[in-house]
Amino acid sequence: MARKRKRNLSGESGELNMTAMIDVVFQLLIFFLVTQKPIDTMANLDVFRPSPTPPKDEVQPPQNMIRIQVLPQGVITINDRTMGHTEMGVVLEKLAALSQNQTIMILCSAQSRHEDLVRVLDLCAKVGLVNLSVVSIN
Amino acid sequence: MKKRPEEPGINMTPMIDVVFQLIIFFVTTADMQQKAIDESIRLALAPHAKPVETRDPREVVIEVDKEGRISIARTYMTADYLYTLMKKTVADQGQTVPVIIRADGDTHHESVRAAMDACTKAGLWKMKFSAVKEKAS
Repeated sequence: MARKRKRNLSGESGELNMTAMIDVVFQLLIFFLVTQKPIDTMANLDVFRPSPTPPKDEVQPPQNMIRIQVLPQGVITINDRTMGHTEMGVVLEKLAALSQNQTIMILCSAQSRHEDLVRVLDLCAKVGLVNLSVVSIN
Repeated sequence: MKKRPEEPGINMTPMIDVVFQLIIFFVTTADMQQKAIDESIRLALAPHAKPVETRDPREVVIEVDKEGRISIARTYMTADYLYTLMKKTVADQGQTVPVIIRADGDTHHESVRAAMDACTKAGLWKMKFSAVKEKAS
């Protein structure tokens, strides 16, 4: 019976006119190829954000906490020492070698560009530092 | 097994029509989800960050454009209104809702800060900055 149906199907398929279908399929293919836009690979950078109104009895952060300042015009300082991106990468790598869980405090000035902050966060992510606290300063 | 009368083959045309309709429907509706984000925002580059793999269905995407205007799904709002909205979100879904901030690379930090402060004031603490890992050619 199966053989009979198979033969029957193959016999009928010759009658199906494929030309119109192939035309439409090619039209669709060309349409989607032309209209599709390549999608960028996205990344998310996790940060901790302290509450904007900290409680009064909050303990002061320990003095040995690493402070990175992001200042206007792309100036970046680590513990008040100004440095470029390559140097910062080296310093962060050394810090990460000590401990990847230490809290890094990133002080971001109001007038600095967001891109500079993202670059600092990216360098931290590169070396595996995860406890990043972003604080805004004026 | 009953013996059926021999059919003169299956007519494929309506099936193909329906399949194409479905394909076109899904392709166009998938595209519509992309339209909810502001394409004019030029995200900063972060080549070393972890790529996005999983998405929380509850996530809130807040956009900050070059001029520092805050918007969610192309709806512009003030920081005060964002705070009200986030408070409602916290009341509905709790404090663990992740906030993703899509801020333009050229915007000043104060605009991003306004959006972040509205979220933290409402009690949301899971915050992420969206960035481009690799640009598609």
